[in-house]
Amino acid sequence: MNNLGTVISFTMRNKLRNKSFLITTLVMVILVVVAGNVPYLIEKLGGEEKVKIVGYVEGQSPEIIAGLQGYFGQQANAKMLLASQGADEDELKRQIADGEIAGYLTLEADDAAGFPIAVYHSKDAFGSSVSQALTAALQAVKTDMVVKDAGLSEEQMQKLLMPVQLSTQKISLTDENGKTESELGTAIGLTYVVVILLFMAVMISGQLIATEITSEKSSRVMEIIVTSVSPLVQMFGKVIGTFIVAILQIAVIVGAMVVSLNLPHNADALQNFGIRLDTIEPAMLVVSVVYFLIGFFLYAVLFAAVGSIVSRTEDLGQAVMPITILTLIGFYIAMFGLSTPESTLVVVCSYIPFFSPFLMVLRVGLSEPGWWEVWVSLGIMLVTTLLLGWLSAKIYRTGVLMYGKRPSVKELIKAMRMYKV
Amino acid sequence: MQPLKVEGIVKRYADKTAVNQLSFEVSEGEIYGLLGANGAGKTTTMRMILGLIFPDEGQISYFGERYSKSQLQMLGYLPEERGMYPKIRVSDQIIYLAQLRGMSRKDADANLKRWLERFQVPEYYDKKVEELSKGNQQKIQFIAAVIHNPRIIIMDEAFSGLDPVNVELLKTTVKELRDSGTSIVFSTHRMEHVEELCRNITIMHKSNPVLQGSIRDIKKRFPQERVILATEQPVAGLASVPGVVEVTTHEHGHYELKIREPEVAQDVLRHALAQGAVRRFELLEPTLNEIFIKTVGENHE
Repeated sequence: MNNLGTVISFTMRNKLRNKSFLITTLVMVILVVVAGNVPYLIEKLGGEEKVKIVGYVEGQSPEIIAGLQGYFGQQANAKMLLASQGADEDELKRQIADGEIAGYLTLEADDAAGFPIAVYHSKDAFGSSVSQALTAALQAVKTDMVVKDAGLSEEQMQKLLMPVQLSTQKISLTDENGKTESELGTAIGLTYVVVILLFMAVMISGQLIATEITSEKSSRVMEIIVTSVSPLVQMFGKVIGTFIVAILQIAVIVGAMVVSLNLPHNADALQNFGIRLDTIEPAMLVVSVVYFLIGFFLYAVLFAAVGSIVSRTEDLGQAVMPITILTLIGFYIAMFGLSTPESTLVVVCSYIPFFSPFLMVLRVGLSEPGWWEVWVSLGIMLVTTLLLGWLSAKIYRTGVLMYGKRPSVKELIKAMRMYKV
Repeated sequence: MQPLKVEGIVKRYADKTAVNQLSFEVSEGEIYGLLGANGAGKTTTMRMILGLIFPDEGQISYFGERYSKSQLQMLGYLPEERGMYPKIRVSDQIIYLAQLRGMSRKDADANLKRWLERFQVPEYYDKKVEELSKGNQQKIQFIAAVIHNPRIIIMDEAFSGLDPVNVELLKTTVKELRDSGTSIVFSTHRMEHVEELCRNITIMHKSNPVLQGSIRDIKKRFPQERVILATEQPVAGLASVPGVVEVTTHEHGHYELKIREPEVAQDVLRHALAQGAVRRFELLEPTLNEIFIKTVGENHE
C-alpha cells in the first residue's frame, strides 16, 4: 500500500510539472470564462444596434406609408425609421450607395389582394432584421386597415392582437413538483456539461495513461519498475494519480465557470436565457458524480491495458482507436438523447456499461427513470469495471514484458498462460 | 545460508525450452558469471531470479526463502536494455525507484548524492536524463540498480557501451560491492571481465548449462595447447615437430604454436634450443574466450 502512494505521488508530480498540461488547463479556463460571459456579451452587443433608415418612393400607396410611419413612431425605441424619400428608384439607389439609407421599400398595387405587394430592396439580400420588422409592421397596418371598417371595440382589438402563449411543463410521476421550463433548461445545461466533462476527462486522461505506460515500456524503464513494485500496484497507482490530476483540472475549470456565471452582471443575462443555477437537483448531482467516477475508472483501466501491450508510442493511436470509438458513440448518443431522453435507443444503451455514464446521467437529468433502473445500470457498470480492472491488470502484467510488434489476442492469451499470471 | 540458490529450474515457452535444468549457487561477496551466446537463456534466467516470470520446474531461494514480494527490496537489477525516464530529473526518478524498493526519501536522497559524488558527477542531480551522454546515462542506470543497497544484484551486460575509463570505474565499484558482501550475478560477452571478476561461472548453450564450476577448475579441464616462443634467430622446421598442429609466425621472431598435448611443448623447446638462444618460452593455459568458443562452437555442430 505504501508503494501505491509512492506511485500516485510520482505520477501526479510529473503531471503537474508538465508545461503542456499547465498550458492546456489555462487555455480551457480562458475558454470557459469567455463562454460563461457570452450571454452578457450578446446582450451588450445586441443593444448597440444603430437606427436603420429605410427609404420609399414618393407617391406609392401614401396611406400605407403613413400607417407604417405611425407604427414605427409608436414604438418606444424603434430601431427603424421610414424617413427618406426619393422621386424614383434610381435616386434611392444612389442614397444606398452613399450610405444614407439601409434600403428602400416599393409598394406595387395589387387589386386582387386588396393590399399592395411590398418589396424591400437592400444590399444584403438575406435575413436582415429590417425585413422582419417591416413584415410585422405591414401586417399590423393591414390588420388595422381591414378591421377599421368592422367596427370592433378597443377591447376586441386588444384580444385579437394578443399573441398565443404556449409553455411546456414537464410532469413527474414520483413527486409532486414537475419541472418548469427554466428548471428543464437548467437540467439540459447541466447534463450537457456533465457529459462533455466526462468525455473530455476520459479522452484526455485515458490517452495520458496509455501514452505514459507505452513510453515507460519503450524507454525500457519498465523493466526496472516491474522488478520493484507489483504491476497491479503500478497500474492502479498510475490510474488513480492521473484521476486526481484530472479532477483537479476539472475542479479548476468548473470553478472558473461557476465564478464567471455568478458574477453580478451575468445573473440577469442567465435568467433571461432561462437558466437558473439554484434549481439544480441534488440527486442529479450525486448521480453525476457517481457515474463520473465509475465511468472514468472503467475507461482508464482499458486505456492502461492497451497502453501496456503496445511497445512504441507511434503505434498507440491505432491501438486505442476502439476505445476512442466507444466513448464517441456514448457521447453522440447522449447528444442525440438531449432532445429525446426516453427513446428506446437511449434507454437500452443506458444499461450498456460503456455508455451508461453518459446516458444514465442524461436520463436522470431530463426524464424520470425509476430508481431500480439507476441501480441496475450502476450494478452492471460496477461489475464490468471490476472485471475489466482484473483483466486489465493481467494484460498489463503480461503486456509490459512483451516487446516487438503488437501481439494479437491469441498471442496475448498464450503469453498470459506462459507467465502464469 | 546461501544468498542465492537456483535449483534445477526449467522454463518452457510454448514450443521451445528456454532454460533447461539450471542449478547454481552464489555465496556472499561473490560475482557469479552467467555466460552464453545470444538467445542461450541468460535473460530468461535473470528474469526468473527477479521474479518477473516463474520457473515451470525447480526453485529459487534467497537466503533460504522462496520468492515473495518482500524479496524485491533486496534485489537490484541492471537490465541489458538500458532505460530511464528521459524527461524526468535524475534525482526525481532515482529517489522514486529507491522508494519503490522500500527506502525512505531522505535515505535515498543521501545515497544518491553519495553515489553521484563517487562517480564524480554531482552536477547531474538536477539534470534530465535526456540531457546526459550515453555513458553518463549508464552511470545513472547503475546507480538506479544499487541505490537501495541490495544484497543481490543482477547485472545484464554491465559494462556495454562504456569507454575504457568508465569501464575501469564501474569495475572497481563492482569489486567494492563484492567486497562489502553483495552477491552479484553477472552476464557479459567480454570474457576478460569474467576472468577478472568471477569466481564461478556457468556457460549456457541453447538453454542447457554446458559448463559449470570455478574458472580455475574449468581451465584445468582444458589442456594447455598453446605455446609462445621467441628466439634470437629464426627457427626452421617447427611445423615438422611431431604433435604440432599449427604454427603462426609473428613479427620479431615470435611464434605461436598450437600443440596436440602439453608434453609436445618440451619437444618444441628442445627443437628451438638446438638452433639458437630462446628469449621467451611459455606454455599457456587456455583463455576463457577460447573455452567459450570451443564449448559453444563444438556444441553447435
